Amino acid sequence: MRRGLLAGAVRRHWGRLLVGVLLLATHQAAEAAVPVAIGLVIDRAVATGDWGALAWSVAGLAVLFTVLAFAYRLGSRQAVLAFEREMHHLRVQVAKRVLDPRGERTGMRSGELLSIASSDAERAALVIRGVAMGIAALTALAVSSVALLTIDVPLGLGVLVGVPLLVLVTTRVAPLLTRHSAAQQEAAARTTALATDLVSGLRTLRGIGAQHTAASRYRASSEGALRASLRAATTTGLYQGVTAAASGLFLAAVAGFAGWFALSGRLTVGELVTVMGLAQFIAEPLRTLGFCGQLLATSRASAARLTTVLDAEPLVEHGTRSVDSAEVSLTLQGVSYRTLRSVDMAVAPHEMVGLVAYDQRDADALLAVLAGQVPEHEGAVLVNGIPSADLDIDERRRVVLVEQHDIALFEGSLRENISGGARTSDDEVSAAVAAAAAEDVVDVHPAGLDHTVTDRGSSLSGGQRQRIGLARALLAAPPVLVLHDPTTAVDAVTEELIAERLTAKRTGQSTLVVTSSPALLGKADRVIVLDAGQVSSVGTHAELVDTDETYRKAVLR
Amino acid sequence: MSDLLPVSTPKQTWALLRAELLRQRKLSTVALLVMLAASGAGLIAPWMIGVLVDDVTAGAGAGRIVGIVAVLVGAALVAGVLVGIGTTLVARVGETVLARIRERVLDRALHLPSSALEKVGIGDLLARAGDDVSAVTRAITQTVPDLVQAVFTIALTGAGLFALDWRLGLAGLVAAPMYVIALRWYLPRSGPYYAKERIAIGERTQALASSLRGKATVRAHRLEDAHIDRLTDRSASAMNLSMDVFRLFTRFASRNNRAEFVGLTAVLVVGFLLVRGDMATVGAVTAAALYFHRLFNPVGFLIMEFDEIQSAGASMARLAGVASLDPPADPDNPREPAAASLEVHGITHHYDGPAVLHDVSLRLEPGERVALVGASGAGKTTLAGIAAGVLEPVSGVVKLGGFDLADIGEARVRRHIALLSQEVHVFDGTLLDDVRLARDDASDDEVLAALDVVGATGWVNALPDGPATQVGEGAHELTAAQAQQLALARLVLADPMVAVLDEATAEAGSAGARVLEDAADAATSGRTTLVVAHRLTQAERADRVLVLDKGVVVESGSHDELLAAGGRYADLWWSWTGIRGVRN
Ligand SMILES: Nc1ncnc2c1ncn2[C@@H]1O[C@H](COP(=O)(O)OP(=O)(O)OP(=O)(O)O)[C@@H](O)[C@H]1O
Ligand SMILES: [Mg+2]
Repeated sequence: MRRGLLAGAVRRHWGRLLVGVLLLATHQAAEAAVPVAIGLVIDRAVATGDWGALAWSVAGLAVLFTVLAFAYRLGSRQAVLAFEREMHHLRVQVAKRVLDPRGERTGMRSGELLSIASSDAERAALVIRGVAMGIAALTALAVSSVALLTIDVPLGLGVLVGVPLLVLVTTRVAPLLTRHSAAQQEAAARTTALATDLVSGLRTLRGIGAQHTAASRYRASSEGALRASLRAATTTGLYQGVTAAASGLFLAAVAGFAGWFALSGRLTVGELVTVMGLAQFIAEPLRTLGFCGQLLATSRASAARLTTVLDAEPLVEHGTRSVDSAEVSLTLQGVSYRTLRSVDMAVAPHEMVGLVAYDQRDADALLAVLAGQVPEHEGAVLVNGIPSADLDIDERRRVVLVEQHDIALFEGSLRENISGGARTSDDEVSAAVAAAAAEDVVDVHPAGLDHTVTDRGSSLSGGQRQRIGLARALLAAPPVLVLHDPTTAVDAVTEELIAERLTAKRTGQSTLVVTSSPALLGKADRVIVLDAGQVSSVGTHAELVDTDETYRKAVLR
Repeated sequence: MSDLLPVSTPKQTWALLRAELLRQRKLSTVALLVMLAASGAGLIAPWMIGVLVDDVTAGAGAGRIVGIVAVLVGAALVAGVLVGIGTTLVARVGETVLARIRERVLDRALHLPSSALEKVGIGDLLARAGDDVSAVTRAITQTVPDLVQAVFTIALTGAGLFALDWRLGLAGLVAAPMYVIALRWYLPRSGPYYAKERIAIGERTQALASSLRGKATVRAHRLEDAHIDRLTDRSASAMNLSMDVFRLFTRFASRNNRAEFVGLTAVLVVGFLLVRGDMATVGAVTAAALYFHRLFNPVGFLIMEFDEIQSAGASMARLAGVASLDPPADPDNPREPAAASLEVHGITHHYDGPAVLHDVSLRLEPGERVALVGASGAGKTTLAGIAAGVLEPVSGVVKLGGFDLADIGEARVRRHIALLSQEVHVFDGTLLDDVRLARDDASDDEVLAALDVVGATGWVNALPDGPATQVGEGAHELTAAQAQQLALARLVLADPMVAVLDEATAEAGSAGARVLEDAADAATSGRTTLVVAHRLTQAERADRVLVLDKGVVVESGSHDELLAAGGRYADLWWSWTGIRGVRN
C-alpha cells in the first residue's frame, strides 16, 4: 500500500514531472558539458591563438550557459511545484481522514497526527524530488560517459568503473556513520522532547518553584546529547577524510594515465583537460544518486506512517436509515463496555433525564458509547428503535449530539464558536447564549459576539469557556442532547440559572445530562443511577434523595 | 499569535556566537587553520594538471608523469587527513557551542519572569525550545562543516587564481561583483517572502493543531467541512508562498549562472590573449580555468543551502533573543520573609479589555485558610495569580511576611508561594521523578511520604511498576484526579509557606472531588492558604470566606457569619447545597 501512495504521488503529477525531469536532465547534461567545453576551448582556441575559434568558443559557451540556466529554472520550478502540490494534497487528505465523521481507528494522539500531517506529508512528497533529481543525475552520468568513451575507450572505461567503485568504497564507512549519527539524532530528539515537555508544563513548574530543578535536568540531558554528537563528529570526520583522500587518489590515477597518454601523444591537451574535468565532475551526479536513495528511503518511511492514517479502519460505518420524526427517543439495551455491565436505560421523547454515576469510569464509558466512538461495545443503542449504527452518519449526528466535558473552542469570534459556522441569526445565537447563562461573557466585551477567542479559548475564564460550549450545544438544538458535567466550572448561582434555562430551552426535545449537580438533577424528569457498571435505581431527584442514602451522599454536598 | 519574546538583530546574534566561540578560542583557531590548510591542499591538483598541460605542450617525455602523480598522491593523502581532522574539529566546536546555547535558552525560558510568560504564552516558547533548537541543530551538524569548507575553498581558489597569474586572477574576479549584485537583488526581495512564508506555515500548523486536537468536537458538531476548508486555505496559501519564494530563487540561480559564464569566459579570453602574447603558458590558463570551474560547486552549495542557512539564521536569532534575556535578577538587597502572612493591597488589573479587578485588598494571617468564591468571570483566577506573584497587577502591591514581592525577588517568592491550578501537567518519566521535580535532593522515601500525605499511596502502588511507572503523554496516562493528586504531592515536597489553589479539586466530579478535597486539606495544613473554589465545601472548611463580584470584594467573614448575613454568599450556599432544587 505504501508503494501505492508513492506511486500515486508520481502518477498524480506525471505530466508536470515529465516536463520537469526532461528539463532537469538537460540542465545536468549541460553541467556535464562545461568541462568538455573548457577542454575544447583550450584545445581549439587558447592553444592555437586562433581568433575565429575564440569567437566560436565564446558563442558556444554563451549558448551552453543559457541552456543550462533556463533548463534549471523552468525544470526545477515544475518539479518543485509538483512536490508542493503533492505535499498539500497529502496534508489535506490526512486532515480529511482524521476529521471524517466515521472516525478512525489509529489510536494516535493528536500530537502524533499533527506530526504526520505536517512533517510526514512533506517527507512523503519528497519522492517527487527524488525521482526528478535521480533521473537528471542519471542523464548527467550518461552524457559524461559518452564524452569519456568518445575521447578514449580504455581511459573512459577506467573512469566509468573507477568512480562507482570509489563511491562504493567510501560508503563502506557509512554504516558506522549511520550508527553514530542515529545515536546522535536520538539523543538530540530526546533532549528536544524533554525541552518541549518542560516548557509545556512551565506553569506547573513555576507553581512550585521547580524551574531550577527542571533546568538542571535539561542540562544533564543536553550534556548527554553533546557527548553523542562529539562521537558522531569523529566518525563524520573520518568519513569525510576518507572520501577526500580516496577521490584525490582516484584523480591522481586518472591524471597518471591521461597524462601519460597525452605525453605520448595519444590525447590532445584539450582532451586531457576534458578527461580531468569530467573525472572530477562525475562524482557529483553519483553523490546526487546516493542522496536520492536517502530521499526515497525517508519518503517511504513517511509514506508508511501516512498510510496507517489514510487506510485506518473507520470506527463506524455509513448507515442508510433516517429518523423521520421530531419525537426522538434514545434507548440502551444490554450495553456492556469497559466497566459497564449490561446497562438498560431510555430517554423518552421530550424527556430530560439526569444520570448519576458513582464511579467516574462508568460515566466515561457510557459517554464513549453514546458518542458512537466505540462500536465494539455489546448491546444496542437505539434511536427511535433504529440501531444507531444503521443511521446515516449525518443523520445520526444531527439527531444525537454528545457535547464533551473537555470543551474545545477554536480560534475565531464568539459567534463563530457558538454557531459553528452555520448561518444563524443573531437572535438565535443570543437565545442560546442566554440559555447557557452566558450573556455576561458577550456583554463584558465591547465587540460582543464578534469578540475574538484565542485558540482553546485561553482568553476566557474557566466557567466562561464551559458556558460558551454549552451555548454551542444548545444552539445546535439536536433532538437528543447528551451533556457531560456541564456546570463544574461555574458558581452555584449560575449553575442554578443554567439548570432552569437549560430545561426551558430543551422543552420538547430529549436531553440526557450526566452530572452530580443537585441543581440539574432537580430539574430532570427522571434520574438514573449507575452503580458498579449497572443501573441501580431510577426515580425523581426528590424521591431518590428521600429514599436512597447512598444517592443522597453522592449528590448532596 | 503574539510574538513578544525578543528576536536578536544579526549583530547581537553574532556577538553571542562570538562570545561562545571565544570560550573555546584554542580549539576554534586550530579548527579554522586546519580547514584552511585542507582547502589549500585541494588546490594542488588543478595546479599540477596545469603543469602537466605545459609539459604536454612542450613535448616533454612520458617519464615526467611519475613526479606529477607522486605530488598528486601526496596532496590527496594530506588533504584527506586535514579534511578529516578539520571537519571533526569544526563539528566539535559547533556542537559544543550549540549545547551551551540551547542550555542557556532553556534556562532563560524556564526562568522567564511570570509576568512576561503570561503575556507571551507557552506557544512561542515551545517553538523556540523545540523547533528552533532542532533547526539550528540540523544546520550545525549537517551544514556548518560543509559551509566552512565551501567558504574556504572559494577564498583559497580565488587566491590560487591570483597566484597562478594576477591577470587571470583579475579576469576571474569579474564574476565577484556579479555574484554580489545577484545577492543584492535577491536578499531584499526574498527576505519579506521568507517572513511571510514562515508566518503562513505557522498559521497552517496552528489550524491543523487546533482541528486535530478538537477532532471529537469537530465531528460531533459536523464542522469537518468548515475545518477542512480552513485547513485547505491555509495550506494552499503556504504552498503558494513557498512557490513564490522558489520562483524568485530560480531567478537568483540564473543570475549566478550568468556570473559563472562571465567569469569563465573572462578567464579563457584573457588566457587566450596572454598565451598569444607569450605572457602565460597554456598550462597556467588550463589550471586557471579548472580553478574557476572548481568554484561552481562550493558557490552552488552556498546558493542551494541558502534557504537552510537563512532559516537556521532566523532560528538562531530567535534563540539568541531568548538567550540574551537577563536571568531573573535578585533585588539589590533581597528580603527574606519570616512570617507567612500574605497581603494584597489596592490591586487593579485588566487584560486587553475592561478592568477585571478594582482596587482589591485582602490579608491572610500566617496559617490562615481563606476561600475565594464568586460568580464565573468575577476575577478569582486573576486575583489568585496576582496573590501568588505569577501575574503582575496593573497597579497595587502584594506583600509576603510584610515585604513587597518585588523586594523578595522572583526566585524566593516561588520557593515560598506555591500556585496550583486546574491545569496540571504530568511530566514524562517515572512518577517518582515527576514528584521529585519539586525538590531534586528528595530521597525516594521522602517522595513516597509526600504521596502518602495526599492519599495517593493506594493507586500509586497499584500502577504496573508502582512508583517507578513511566507516566506522561504516551506512557501510562493518569486520570485528571490522579494528576491533581500528583500536583498536590509536589506541593507537599516543595513545602512552601503559602499555597494558592485555583479550582484544584473541580475536575473530578463529586465522588472524586471529595477525595481531592481531603488531599488538598492535608497538603496545605499548617500553610497560609488561599483557595478558589466553586465547590463550597471548600469554603465551609475555610477560616474565612471572601466573595468577589465583578472584580470587587463584596463580602468577607466566616462561613457562619456570611450565611447568617443572608447576602450573596448565602445565595451561593443555598444554590450549592441544592436544597432549593429539591423544594421546587
Ligand atoms: N488571558 C486572558 N486574556 C484576556 N482576558 C482574560 C484572560 N483571562 C481572563 N480574562 C478575562 O478576565 C475576566 C476574569 O477572569 P478570571 O479567569 O479571573 O475569572 P474567574 O473568576 O476565575 O472565573 P471562573 O469562575 O469562570 O474561572 C473574565 O472576563 C475573562 O474573560
Ligand atoms: Mg477561574
